[in-house]
Amino acid sequence: MTAEHSEPTSVAHRSTRLGAQGEPLMRIRDLHVEYATRRGPLSAVDNLSLDIYRGEILGLVGESGCGKSTLGKALMRMIQPPGQITRGQLIFDGVDLMTLPETEMRKVRGARISMIFQDPMTSLNPVQRIDEHIIEAIRVHQPEISRREARRRAVELIERLGIGAKRLEDYPHQLSGGMRQRVMIGLALALKADIIIADEATTSLDVIVEAKFLDLLRELRDELNLTIILITHNIGIVAELADRVVVMYAGRVAEVADVDTLFHYPKHPYTQGLLKSVPNIDLDGDELYRMPGSPPNLIDPPGGCRFHPRCPQAKPICAQREPALAAVSPAEGEPTPHSEHLVHCWLYQEHE
Amino acid sequence: MTQQSDVQPDPPAQSQWQTDLQNAGLWRKFLQMSRWHGVNWWLMVISAIGVLVFVIIALFPSWFAPYGHNEEAGPSRMAPGQKPDNYLLIVRQDSPYTDFPSLDEGVESPSQAAKVGVRNEVASRIISEQRKKYDMLGPRPVRVFDRTVEQFLQGILDGDYAAVLLNEKYQEALADFPELKSVGYVGRVYKHGFLLGTNVLGFDVFSRLIYGTRNTLLIGMSSAIFAALFGIPIGLLSGFWGGWPDRLLTLTMDSLYSFPGLILAIAIAAVLEPGIGNIILAIAVIYIPTYFRIVRGQTLAIKQELYVEAARALGAGRVATLALYIFPNVLASVVVIFSVNVADAILTGAGLSFIGLGLPVTTPEWGADLAKGQESIQSAWWLVTFPGIAIALLTLAFSLLGESVSEILNPRLNRQ
Repeated sequence: MTAEHSEPTSVAHRSTRLGAQGEPLMRIRDLHVEYATRRGPLSAVDNLSLDIYRGEILGLVGESGCGKSTLGKALMRMIQPPGQITRGQLIFDGVDLMTLPETEMRKVRGARISMIFQDPMTSLNPVQRIDEHIIEAIRVHQPEISRREARRRAVELIERLGIGAKRLEDYPHQLSGGMRQRVMIGLALALKADIIIADEATTSLDVIVEAKFLDLLRELRDELNLTIILITHNIGIVAELADRVVVMYAGRVAEVADVDTLFHYPKHPYTQGLLKSVPNIDLDGDELYRMPGSPPNLIDPPGGCRFHPRCPQAKPICAQREPALAAVSPAEGEPTPHSEHLVHCWLYQEHE
Repeated sequence: MTQQSDVQPDPPAQSQWQTDLQNAGLWRKFLQMSRWHGVNWWLMVISAIGVLVFVIIALFPSWFAPYGHNEEAGPSRMAPGQKPDNYLLIVRQDSPYTDFPSLDEGVESPSQAAKVGVRNEVASRIISEQRKKYDMLGPRPVRVFDRTVEQFLQGILDGDYAAVLLNEKYQEALADFPELKSVGYVGRVYKHGFLLGTNVLGFDVFSRLIYGTRNTLLIGMSSAIFAALFGIPIGLLSGFWGGWPDRLLTLTMDSLYSFPGLILAIAIAAVLEPGIGNIILAIAVIYIPTYFRIVRGQTLAIKQELYVEAARALGAGRVATLALYIFPNVLASVVVIFSVNVADAILTGAGLSFIGLGLPVTTPEWGADLAKGQESIQSAWWLVTFPGIAIALLTLAFSLLGESVSEILNPRLNRQ
């Protein structure tokens, strides 16, 4: 690694990136995703609104089952029955993806928005050679490109990802986990997608390979001005890599802030609890914090704020009405956040 | 991208033998096949050569067969290697007869025909054949069964017959009769016997086998291919679509599958006219559900794989997903069924012919020959044994080849 990347990324570096936000690349508005179950509809993503900006790495964190992966898939309209996007808008580059017919949507997938999956071991076709994967990815969207040209691009792509061109002739089982994951990135980059959704992309990698992978993502972002949505339950990765963080709870956004603000001055009681539950090697003596209760059943979620049954600071209003996702200003003595700090909590909102 | 050189390729995740495999020459790879693929190379070579030999025989039967497939090569039911008897025409030294046709000279009505003594059925039939061959009125065979060779030859001197037909192997007896002479062989002269004997009609069993290879292979391969061509796409679509088309197809296929195979083939063959095309059809129908079930099950499993979802995320359409991601992964298991199916289809085809719903008698086919041989199993063991062995060998060659090839082709097996 060069010096620039081996050091922890400075706040200044991130803030310049966040400063140049401008118009959001993708605007999610009132997104609802439901799964039909025998006991009624399960609302996996509920009334979610979010802006995603070009060139940022957006961390999406939360407990298992809070709707992170569902949101990721919903962005590409990849929700399969029994799941369904029941309502909402996905305005990407000025176009509402929800209004596109399936054939048009297919042209967006892979070419404009791409996805890296959880398990690199199983997300490559075992009977297809690596070059075939990339050539196919290119030719699905641009059939006019000859196989030879597509292969030339594949060589270029794979070499910039640090894999020898010789490896293109291998089958997936002949590659290591780290290499496969890089091939997956290669597939996502093959058509210069604007947004790459990495869904738990490092879960099955060991920490060394994971660190390399994260460095690579950051380099690619810097070079190609990619937008990366990092879906993970590993808070450490988010702290390391993300510019902005979205904390999700029970299908809703709990808190959105830039990474420094979120980690140093979390506002939402859930975020505070989540950060306290992270095992820390520096933490001596203290027992690890355990959040009381468990995530709610989304078939019949609690009214008002969905977190209120577990919230240590719950007030009567919390059980009655849902708070808005509203901007908060920094408290006394706190620095100004690099981006808007949004919290979905009655503690920071006026009510009667 | 200058930083890229920093991202080192991972250390090889493969074990030593995999590295060896990549560096090994083709010949070494081949010899070490059992170590790398779990396939004994000699088994594969033998089965491949076997299949190849069968195919060559099927393509060029005339290179191998000494006789035609419908040619009466010799007497009926000759045992393997048994040389048929040759017959000499014996006449008096002063007789006017110089050969067999001369026996008919000057004969104007059947009553004037010369009498020829014969000692057995075979000789009697030779006379009849010769008469037909030369379109003559006489001579008449007169059969004597209970006399010794000497008594038999004495019959000419006694005036009982104008000539006798004497088995070649008794010609030493002529030495005692200086008044008699031989004027040569009558009928076909056999220099050697038949390798695998002859059947009831006198056809050479070996030649029948050679000529039957083509039809047998044709039935086996075509019905397996036909069944695969139907079963695989239906299975793929059914598994891929799901929902009510899947239920309907599964129900249909399961009901077809629940019939015993041969019974169903018999029913279909009985409705259709006999002929090679209809046999293939009848056999193919019973194998369609086999392909359907395997392919549908695999499709259902592979549909859930992450790489299929990844393909969708890359913008692959339904057709591309099926053709490039699901189908190739299903194919590995289909290859195995295919080879087993070819072998099984040959047996079923033989079974159909065996019960008489197969091919007409004139068409050489192993199963049909086996069935006909069964009628005379007590007197002629070779009629059932050799077609049976041929079917067993072909079946074995196909099964072995299919399994070795599928193990080598499947990139996921034996490589972890």
